[in-house]
Amino acid sequence: MPVGGALFTSVLLAVVSLALFWTAAFTLWWQMHAWRTPETLAATRFGRPDGGGRLAFSLLLPARHEQAVLEHTIDRLLESSHRDYEIIVIVGHDDPETAAVAERAAARAPHRVRVVVDHHETKNKPKALGTALPHCRGDIVGVFDAEDQVHPDLLSHVDHAFRATGADVVQGGVQLINFHSSWYSLRNCLEYFFWFRSRLHLHAEKGFIPLGGNTVFVRTEVLREAGGWDPNCLAEDCDLGVRLSSAGKKVVVAYDSDMVTREETPDSLMSLLKQRTRWNQGFLQVYRKKDWQQLPGRGQRWLARYTLMTPFLQAASGVIIPCNFAVALFLDVPVGVAIITFLPMITAMVTFVFEIVGLHDFGRQYGLRVRFVHYLKLIAGGPLYQVMLAGAAVRAVWREQRGRNEWELTSHVGAHLAEAPAPALATASATAPATATAPAPALATAPAPQTREDVHR
Amino acid sequence: MTATLPTATDPRSTDPRSTAVPGTATLPVRPAPGRSGGGAPAARPRPHVRFRSSRPDLALCGVLLLVIVLVQGWNITHFPTLSDDEGTYLAQAWAVQQGEGLAHYTYWYDHPPLGWIQIAALTWLPALFVPESMTVAPMRFSMLAVSAVSAVLLYVLARRLWLPRWAAGLAMALFGLSPLSVVLQREIFLDNLAVLWILLAFCLAASPSRHLWHHFAAGLAAATAVLTKETMLVVLPALMVTMWRHSHRDTRKFAVTGAVTACALIGFSYPLYALLNGELLPGPGHVSLIGGITYQMGREGSGFLLDPGSGAHGVLQSWLYYDTVLPLGGLAGALLLLVTLRWSVTARALAGPALAAAVLAAVALRPSGYLPAMYVIQALPFLALVLAGGAASVAHAVLHRRRRPGEGRALRSARYVLAGVLAVAAAAFVVPRWYEGNRTALTADANAPYRQAAAWLGSEVADPAHTRVLLDDALWLDAVHHGYAPGPGAIWFYKADLDPAVTATLPRGWRDIDYVVSSPTVRRDAVNLPNVKAALEHSVPVAVFGTGEDRIEIRRTTPDSGSRP
Repeated sequence: MPVGGALFTSVLLAVVSLALFWTAAFTLWWQMHAWRTPETLAATRFGRPDGGGRLAFSLLLPARHEQAVLEHTIDRLLESSHRDYEIIVIVGHDDPETAAVAERAAARAPHRVRVVVDHHETKNKPKALGTALPHCRGDIVGVFDAEDQVHPDLLSHVDHAFRATGADVVQGGVQLINFHSSWYSLRNCLEYFFWFRSRLHLHAEKGFIPLGGNTVFVRTEVLREAGGWDPNCLAEDCDLGVRLSSAGKKVVVAYDSDMVTREETPDSLMSLLKQRTRWNQGFLQVYRKKDWQQLPGRGQRWLARYTLMTPFLQAASGVIIPCNFAVALFLDVPVGVAIITFLPMITAMVTFVFEIVGLHDFGRQYGLRVRFVHYLKLIAGGPLYQVMLAGAAVRAVWREQRGRNEWELTSHVGAHLAEAPAPALATASATAPATATAPAPALATAPAPQTREDVHR
Repeated sequence: MTATLPTATDPRSTDPRSTAVPGTATLPVRPAPGRSGGGAPAARPRPHVRFRSSRPDLALCGVLLLVIVLVQGWNITHFPTLSDDEGTYLAQAWAVQQGEGLAHYTYWYDHPPLGWIQIAALTWLPALFVPESMTVAPMRFSMLAVSAVSAVLLYVLARRLWLPRWAAGLAMALFGLSPLSVVLQREIFLDNLAVLWILLAFCLAASPSRHLWHHFAAGLAAATAVLTKETMLVVLPALMVTMWRHSHRDTRKFAVTGAVTACALIGFSYPLYALLNGELLPGPGHVSLIGGITYQMGREGSGFLLDPGSGAHGVLQSWLYYDTVLPLGGLAGALLLLVTLRWSVTARALAGPALAAAVLAAVALRPSGYLPAMYVIQALPFLALVLAGGAASVAHAVLHRRRRPGEGRALRSARYVLAGVLAVAAAAFVVPRWYEGNRTALTADANAPYRQAAAWLGSEVADPAHTRVLLDDALWLDAVHHGYAPGPGAIWFYKADLDPAVTATLPRGWRDIDYVVSSPTVRRDAVNLPNVKAALEHSVPVAVFGTGEDRIEIRRTTPDSGSRP
């Protein structure tokens, strides 16, 4: 190699490696937020409820083709120890099965349960929530999904959290539990664990927070003032959080392992990929909406930028780290530069180790038995999961790009919006131009049983 | 020894007295509801030493630091005698500064290079502005900075291990003012740097905030210590004990795993470096890491430490010649603390340092190992800590043990009198000895022959650039600054026999050499070095500095001479 070329390679390698190193190091730093000190960890929990004055809750429960799980979810919500709450089930006008289940529940508990019918032509979660917002009578609006298992004491804890902290928003923990189902659900569970157990608390502390999709509670007047959910955003939860924190609203996050809302991972790798694509695309939309630019602090804006771009940085580093490593190993670069190229690898290894410890802690917290083979799966699944994440990121960018180009077509192609239940990646890409035109293609009007990407059983 | 220190509190103790310690504060911790997390211990008060905002601590530490710097710095260039090893490390640091790699001869994995890379960084600025100052004697001042930092870290560590202020001060004084410390810490040894890093690691491991990244950083510092001087490896279990005791149950698994990971990853960079250079495994025609380790492990043993005839015993005697209080007293303190671990809170607080001292002693006691003279340097801070801890324990036992609220005046006065008598007796034993030892260190000039020899090489040789001279490492940089060609001109004497690259430049053996600077080291090692021996035999002294065993002769080779040195 000529001297100039070697120098160029060395400098390029060093710059790329250092950039990757800092990205990975920051992510790791934030991921481990809750375990920084014992005091931080203790502060992430709910305060003990004092049994004092009570707030009134309106719990929104959008359900779509979820007649199988809805009843159980409502029953469980009705077991709540809190006194003052109403459950508003939102069903589609084209979904009689779910509506029947909801009506039955309303008949059994007429003072607690009401049913609101969403008449939008194309349906999605933010539209459903928006439909129900005018009907809310409580001081606090809470959102759950139809398959959530909610702890009976959660509302009392949230009530106390609102009053004790003067918060405008309280985000409770959500946890995927079925880590033993498959290698990707193991990683998916752990992702949730690190996100809700740790990282979200950092966001709350810094005053910039992408909220979760459920177990989220907002003061009704704050929510109305903010105009509710954006019906055209694929990540309406993240968007709401960004808008509220940009407006300076106080967000409190609390996590107790016995108080979390339990969920299950998507039932196939494909639906996980689709779910992740939707989130990534939603993050992109939120980034482009630029609400985060109103954040007062420069640090906050950087955190916003970084967080909203994370899926894409993650995808990029997933590809670049191995390449970088291989180049350093097989090309003849100076030893100093080679050592620098190992830096991102070292951070990745530290992350791996902390994930292993995290899995152990997850098992402890939830009384689940984590076997040796699960640790092996965690390690072996790491690179594969990275590939999935990279795929979802690429897919999201592509769809967003195409979708924007063909926005005009929306009104014409409503009939094509249904996606096959689980198309292969190639076919999904092929159908994407049509499907991506609607804000929420997966929630199209087709009667397919699995219209939501992140469907749960 | 079963007493509780006045300010010492076990991490799990709920002793209400602990909140009354000056300079401490209790952290309000939110009670943890529910079964999750088992957060109960988090809610308990815990003493918190805020070193930076505590005036008395800063004042005491500052005064002691001043005294230590004065005692260690005064006369530092003249005493003790320049050592060959100092020359080696500084010369290699010089090679790093010159951009010549890790050594001006082939780097052969004798030690991890991080130590002299740090020396290179420390001496970089002075060497930049006054290049001639890059010789052993002036550069000892860089070690003064290292001992100053180590002494402060030791004080901080003592406070973080809940020793009372006076005991922390005592530990710092023992560490910095023992004649043994003064002699060894003045010298440019890798061990001194390694001590700094391991003390930093202990301070971080005992961090009062129990921060995850402090523990992680403790792992990084520990790895740096090991890469500075590999023998620090044996102290790591003691560091682990300290970290375990100072971490909280809820976050411990993350903290300890993080620290171990950090330490391992940084530690592995050394074999990785060797691997990238293709020098991990031994092979023909190149040096290797495994080869270097094999050499170090296979070095001829210096015998059993307690066997009066052995080399190790000689080394022990050389330590005890300077000071008996710190090595023997500290060791006794360490053993006592380890034995009373079950009953004494102090013993548990100092378990880590006591274990470190005990492990280092056990390693020194193995019958068939090589015991270098600087070995004791690594033990000094731990010996000082446990000795001060023992003193604190005794003081507390005398002053507070079995004390009842209505204790009579007479009894109380008796306690203070006893404590006073003990303190005076200890001082009467220590102070005269240390005064003598340190007086020598502050006044003696052991290096006049070296300076004269270096000056002679600069002024009396007509054409240094084309003169080849064998000399010991301590004088090598002087010769280089006087214009001798580093490597082929100014030659580390043993390289003439041991480094094939150098031997190849001496096809006619001693006849290719113009001068030999015969210092005690050269005369001692020449026995096993044929080229050096022949050069000594075929040369006559042209200048002699000093007398007796310590004299330095400059000898010129004479083709027809056969005089004995």
